[in-house]
Amino acid sequence: MTAMFRAILFTQWKWSRLIVVLGTVAAFAIPLLSLQGAARADRGALQAQDLLRAVQSWGSLYPLLATALGLLMAIAAWAPEHRGRHIHALTLPLERWRYVLLRFGAGVVLLAAPIAAVLIGASLGALTATLPPGLHAYPIGLAVRFALAVFVAYAVFFAVSAGTARTAGIILGVIAAIILVQVVAGIANIDLDLFGAAQTVFALGPGPLAVFTGRWMLVDV
Amino acid sequence: MTNAIEIERLHYRVGNAFEIKELDLHVPTGSIYGFLGPNGSGKTTTIRLILGLLRPLSGRITVLGDPMPEQHARVLGRVGFVPEQPHLDATLTVRELIDFQAAFYARWDAERARELVKSFELDESRLFGRLSKGQKAKLMILLALAQGGDLLVLDEPTDGLDPVVRRDILSALLTYVSERGATIFISSHLVHELERVCDWVAVMDDGRLITESPMEKLKHGTKRLVISGVPADIGTPPFRMLSREASNGAGENWVVGDWEPGMTSYIESLGASVRDVVDLDLEDGFVELLRSFRKVRQ
Repeated sequence: MTAMFRAILFTQWKWSRLIVVLGTVAAFAIPLLSLQGAARADRGALQAQDLLRAVQSWGSLYPLLATALGLLMAIAAWAPEHRGRHIHALTLPLERWRYVLLRFGAGVVLLAAPIAAVLIGASLGALTATLPPGLHAYPIGLAVRFALAVFVAYAVFFAVSAGTARTAGIILGVIAAIILVQVVAGIANIDLDLFGAAQTVFALGPGPLAVFTGRWMLVDV
Repeated sequence: MTNAIEIERLHYRVGNAFEIKELDLHVPTGSIYGFLGPNGSGKTTTIRLILGLLRPLSGRITVLGDPMPEQHARVLGRVGFVPEQPHLDATLTVRELIDFQAAFYARWDAERARELVKSFELDESRLFGRLSKGQKAKLMILLALAQGGDLLVLDEPTDGLDPVVRRDILSALLTYVSERGATIFISSHLVHELERVCDWVAVMDDGRLITESPMEKLKHGTKRLVISGVPADIGTPPFRMLSREASNGAGENWVVGDWEPGMTSYIESLGASVRDVVDLDLEDGFVELLRSFRKVRQ
């Protein structure tokens, strides 16, 4: 099984190395850039607020990066299989669930690089910055949250991407049906807020996508 | 004699357009079994069912003694497969594809892989997508042979290849069979090619099996008879009547299967006489089988 995993990891690296390298560079740079104005020792209370605003606005890039990494890695994991109509994978001598697990695991291993880059970049930024009194850096917390977001995004897109065009069609159909019902309800003056309900279920805690929402702060009170 | 592949009363349907119905196949262990049929007859679908890529609606498939698709992981470890279209990733090199494949097969024969890379003159650093059609076919055969399987399932492996590459591939297959005693299940519509290498043959059309027989029996048992003085009713003959047409003269032309020389006495017992018995090659026999099958179905 180790040899199989190594073989799958190699192919996945070959298919997604550009994504991994660019994602790792971005993941390393964002925390450093978010603290670029914090290298001075003469900061008062107002400057602290400026710093928090800067960190917060840079922080919106973490969930975007996590989503992009999850999406692109998932697509890269399955695109060659789709092109070959899955014949190669299906004729390999192992259970299908095991093959899918190996592919998923290989992606997780490769995504460790940008996650580590966030941790290193955030730790380096926190060490080199002079923070105003009352503010603290949370590099480990930020990296853990980024890791969670990356894995959630990867898992969701991996599952969708693994499916056939029919699966994708069903998902798009469900989304289209929700939009249609919402539009019809709006025209008919019916008090129905499907988007709000979906947001409550998925994006607010403890929803599965809650990790992407809220403030992503490397430095906070 | 045991069978490497056994299919009984197999039923499979794709929408309303095509179905495989009541299919029975018996591929003897150690044989080179040719699976003939025109394009769209169901050969590739049958192969996918054999490999567990598709799930039948009913019926039983046994490959190397194990039921499919239930035991696909176990069975596929002993089966080398070459699909109709190259399915490997175009961005991997020949060496990377060989290494990838080797990781999945416990009986991977690295020595054979090396020999075949050399004899097929494959450039290991070349991307799969940059290989010619013939080189791709050779690499697919290499991967199937180096797995060290007991059964090779080949779906039109030489279709569209030049004669030199075809000869190289068939030669590698025959060497493998003679060394390992493996079974080969090879589908094709290139009748002459199968005629040279196969010892069993099955013919399929429109999702149905028309015949399954040893190659010699099919080749030597299919004849064109020129008959004179035939009555309208000939009862139930001891051979298979594939076609019966009036000739230009007074007699008739029959194409028959399962023919044996002693059967002329049956025709003579009808008051008719056999004026000529013409040998048909496999291609003629194949065409007559298809024609007769389609006529009956109409």
